[in-house]
Amino acid sequence: MKAISVALLLVLFTFLAAANFVSKGERVESDFWPDDGLRLGLDLRGGIHWVVGVELDEAMVRELEFVRDSVEERLESDGVTLMRSAVEDQELVLVLASESDRAAVIEEADDTGVVESSGGRDLVLRYRLTEEWAVDVHERTMSQVLEVLRRRIDDPQRGIPDSVVTRQGDDRVLVQIPGEQIDRERARTLLKSTGFLEFKIVEDSDASRETLLARYPNGIGADQIILSELDPETDAEIGAYLLPQAADITGAYLEDARLQFDQQQRPIVEFRFNPEGGEIFGELTERSIGQPMAIVLDDKVYSAPVIRGRISTRGQIEGNYTADEAADLAVILRAGSLSVPVVIEEERTVGPGLGQDSIESGARACLIGLTIVLAFAIGYYRLSGVFASIALLANLVLLVGLMSLFEATLTLPGIAGLVLTVGMAVDANVIIFERIREELRSGKSVRAAISTGFQKATWTVLDANLTTLFTAVILFEYGTGPIKGFAVTLSVGIVTSVFAALVVTRLLFQLYPGNRNVSTLSI
Amino acid sequence: MPFELVPPGTRINFLGQRRICLALSVALIVLGGICALPSVKGVKVGLDFAGGTEVQLLFDAGVAVDESRIRNVIADQGFEDPQVVRFGEAGSAEFNIKFNSVAEDSVAAEAVRLAQKGEDGEADASGLEANTQVLVLENALREQIGGFTEQRVEYVGPRVGAELREDGAKALLLSALAILAYVAFRFSSRFAPGAVVAVVHDLTITAGILVMIGEEFDLRILAAMLAILGYSLNDTIIIYDRIRENMELRTTADLEEVLNDSVNQTLSRTVLTSITTVLALLSLYLLGGEVIRPFAMTMLIGVLVGTYSSVFIASPLLLALETRYGGGKQAPKQGPGVNKAARV
Repeated sequence: MKAISVALLLVLFTFLAAANFVSKGERVESDFWPDDGLRLGLDLRGGIHWVVGVELDEAMVRELEFVRDSVEERLESDGVTLMRSAVEDQELVLVLASESDRAAVIEEADDTGVVESSGGRDLVLRYRLTEEWAVDVHERTMSQVLEVLRRRIDDPQRGIPDSVVTRQGDDRVLVQIPGEQIDRERARTLLKSTGFLEFKIVEDSDASRETLLARYPNGIGADQIILSELDPETDAEIGAYLLPQAADITGAYLEDARLQFDQQQRPIVEFRFNPEGGEIFGELTERSIGQPMAIVLDDKVYSAPVIRGRISTRGQIEGNYTADEAADLAVILRAGSLSVPVVIEEERTVGPGLGQDSIESGARACLIGLTIVLAFAIGYYRLSGVFASIALLANLVLLVGLMSLFEATLTLPGIAGLVLTVGMAVDANVIIFERIREELRSGKSVRAAISTGFQKATWTVLDANLTTLFTAVILFEYGTGPIKGFAVTLSVGIVTSVFAALVVTRLLFQLYPGNRNVSTLSI
Repeated sequence: MPFELVPPGTRINFLGQRRICLALSVALIVLGGICALPSVKGVKVGLDFAGGTEVQLLFDAGVAVDESRIRNVIADQGFEDPQVVRFGEAGSAEFNIKFNSVAEDSVAAEAVRLAQKGEDGEADASGLEANTQVLVLENALREQIGGFTEQRVEYVGPRVGAELREDGAKALLLSALAILAYVAFRFSSRFAPGAVVAVVHDLTITAGILVMIGEEFDLRILAAMLAILGYSLNDTIIIYDRIRENMELRTTADLEEVLNDSVNQTLSRTVLTSITTVLALLSLYLLGGEVIRPFAMTMLIGVLVGTYSSVFIASPLLLALETRYGGGKQAPKQGPGVNKAARV
């Protein structure tokens, strides 16, 4: 009965393990094989692994700036003007013009409900975000960044299948893009672009920043900014524009953006505003007919066409880009802009060729290691060695089957863990066999020796494996990326090898003599 | 008759050799410690913990390339102290390029140019972001030497490097604590210190040997170290298990004799298990490829050291701890053990 259930279990797991050798496409198509199985880590499959840091400090600064603006606005309606206000070192600094304003300023600051006093003296008041609000800003920023990055990666037209964008820890996002579907440069543009689109009416323009600046010997105004337009081929500056600091309308109102081609078959990005944005845009274009309007993305002028008539919801962005670049730009605009910049803090990118090499050498090492260990076990323990070998194979089948069942990720260190398991799994059998040999030497019958041997060895086997399991679990907890894969195979391997030795080997020993009375045991 | 690696009845006086072994271990630890001094050899810290960028490139067939050509091109770009290593055998066109910091001038200008071109969302004023550096490097190599395939790019930023260091230390410490607790729980608190000291001994010597041969410490090595921690404890636990069993059976015997017998009785298992593990690891070391080699090597060293320590170090440690602090049920002959036996 027990034999049948173990045999059934092994058949099931052999099936699960074997499914990994069938290609993904065939598996999905056929009704026989399960659709999912072992996943290959990026180090085997090839791909981009990025840990992206979100600049949360920037979010806090922006939040404080927002608070400052609203406090100033309210004070203005109270008839109070501050001497100076600034955001410094994650603090809002308000400098009073006179002592008599103190009560009003404190009241307005407190009224915002999101800042608390952090000191200050004389006429200087300092505020910081309340802890509660800081956490709120933190979480809001993280989910906004995650959402935007996900939308870019999962874009219905240009998205990259099988990619992963997840939050990692407090302030990071893990991005995994498998395979050869994207090169690093494109991935980088797609993910790192802030995607902040602005439309500004041009106040002045010239061929270069220098010549433009030369017209303003007294400098440009504080609310003005000079931005350049570059030739995408040569990077040479092909124009400079004097623009207002604040945008007339931003990409926040965008409803859609897509790749189109103009009459000369040049790629352009066509966009559409939502009704609210269309109204603002229509008003803006109507009052600025005849003037050029700069289309600015992430502080770079893409083009500055002259407005010929009122445009409300539809418009287009020209630029000297390739169709691919234009399509990616449309993705970035569709997904919305990142509220804060992101920085790549860790990268592990593996080319598909290297991944394939790793799989091959890993598989070879595993196979040859297995063969040598099996040969050694059979040579040393004879028939019992054959039992141990069967148990070892059962162990591998269980290990791979179990990992497939849970759709675990196999990495290169994971393969190393597999090979190590092969070497270490024999251990449990060795402990048992040596014990049986001892019992036989002390004059016990074969049947009794087997029974006592297993009995006495069981706890030893458990003790020995539990400790390795502890370290494997701790490694899983603290390891990153591929190393986690090692911890997975090692811990699952420990569990299956204990099962193989204590159940499968034992079963074989029970089946072999059966009810016959054997006087010698090949061990 | 079955083939016996260790014939039954083998009685090697392992404990008798304890002074020599102790001296050997201490010598190895001290040697490793001396080599770790920055003025002697120093500890090499790999990318994972130190931070930096590593690029592995496979040049196209027919491209004339060698280490010095690559080094020259990189130096022209202002990369400081780049390490260029040819991968695999002498004629291979695969190279590993590693660099840490970048001289600002030359690269920064190029990076800003690239950034403005649109490869970068917000132009990093410093231009020092590693991703851009890799682009600069690859462009220069492609223009001046020839085409290649990018096999691997690894970058670890300073913040991530510091965190990985911290996590690694935590993992090692926690594992040691977990083991201490388990041994204390399963055996007795008297056994735990011996087991932990033996494991620390193994890790220290393994690390020392890695320092001596100039291996870089990275995440793979850490994973191997943790695996050794578990593995080497296996050996020790199995011997301790036997010691406990023998102590219960033979309350009258001399502790040293019990320990020696236990080590001898489990010797064939200790040796056999090490053999199979070493065989598997050798196959991994020789065939597993470049990426896995440091891991396999660390494990190999660790398994050998661990086996040595289980046989020669763990039991003497137990003996020393018992004679010094034990005094309980197992003490030297003239101790209370005799009286207790008389009562039985």
